[in-house]
Amino acid sequence: MKPELHFFIGKGGVGKSTTAALCALFSSLAGRRTLLVSMDPAHNQGDIFESRFGEKPRKVLPTLTVREIDADYWMTRHLKETRDQIKRTYLYESAFNLLDHFKVLQFSPGLEEYALLRAFEDVLAHAGHQDRIIFDMAPTAITLRFFSLPAISLIWLDELTKLRSLICEKKEIITKIQGPGQPVQGDRVMEKLHHLAERHTRLRDRLVSQATRIHLVLNNDRLSLVEASRIRKRLGDMDIRIEDLLVNRLPPGQSADEITRAFEPVKCATLPLATEALIGLPALRRFLETQGDIFPRLL
Amino acid sequence: MSEEAKGSWIGALGRKTLRLWRIVDTVSRAKAVDTLTVELEELENIFSLLVLGAFVGLPSPPIHLTMDLMPEMPHEFERMIEKIGTAHDPLGELFSALGIG
Repeated sequence: MKPELHFFIGKGGVGKSTTAALCALFSSLAGRRTLLVSMDPAHNQGDIFESRFGEKPRKVLPTLTVREIDADYWMTRHLKETRDQIKRTYLYESAFNLLDHFKVLQFSPGLEEYALLRAFEDVLAHAGHQDRIIFDMAPTAITLRFFSLPAISLIWLDELTKLRSLICEKKEIITKIQGPGQPVQGDRVMEKLHHLAERHTRLRDRLVSQATRIHLVLNNDRLSLVEASRIRKRLGDMDIRIEDLLVNRLPPGQSADEITRAFEPVKCATLPLATEALIGLPALRRFLETQGDIFPRLL
Repeated sequence: MSEEAKGSWIGALGRKTLRLWRIVDTVSRAKAVDTLTVELEELENIFSLLVLGAFVGLPSPPIHLTMDLMPEMPHEFERMIEKIGTAHDPLGELFSALGIG
């Protein structure tokens, strides 16, 4: 069975990493095999668990593993793979010229979210034995680009495939006119387009699937609310729905009614301002003991 | 004319007609192929510009698609770079396409 996916998203500094860590710990203590993945370049999970994490998943508890995505590693790996393929398929002289132009591409916008998408694919490929995967996401801008990338890629792939089909049809007609018995050669670009379309369809379907839940974390302040509304709209445009809202660090005596009303009918949960710094497993456990009833509603 | 001579004359005419037919067929096929090749090249140019436009300053698809498709498009890439070279001399390119000069 495929693991459930939980994404914790929201404005920078609202407490995504801490709430993701608390949810992961709660899930693990409830006996579910849980993988916590940090996609945030700030990588706070190491500070929260007082441990060092990296690309190789590391066990914190028997049922809790943490992995920190290194976007630079995925970007470098993608560039290297493309460069190697170019060297294999291009003539020496052309490859030499192309690699010169290629240097510019590594500074192109859009590579960072693609690196995250490749890391996401890798996480899914290696986490089949987990019950839940909890993603602590990057700040809003890059997260939205990450979610929209498969759909945008599919729009382009659709148009390119139509044009390439026309090219293949013309090539086939030319081969037929040139005489019977001429072999019709397969088109490698077309094969690649089909392969890419399948890959991005799989990713898009996974992001909009029922087993994928988006938790929008925010604080009880104006800026946080405005940004959360924007996130909700942008995700809605991509047919990605927000499972629930989590108003974090709610000071005593305040209520989150305004937020609840603004986001109806999305469920809204609140987490109070912690009385101690939520750093280290013992502190996280203590917080769960007092606020544990909120988490079963999220997971 | 004897029956034998008549037969061989008809045979020779048949062979000549067949040869003529083959020549006409080859010429027509070559003409059709030429026309379609020009059309195909134009389509391939559009495809190259769409995928590899980033290299010549055109809006391009998400950069990872360019990078994923680029290894499969060596000929398109070469042609695009050539086009940049001839862009400064469009008349020269036109004359060479028409076989003038």
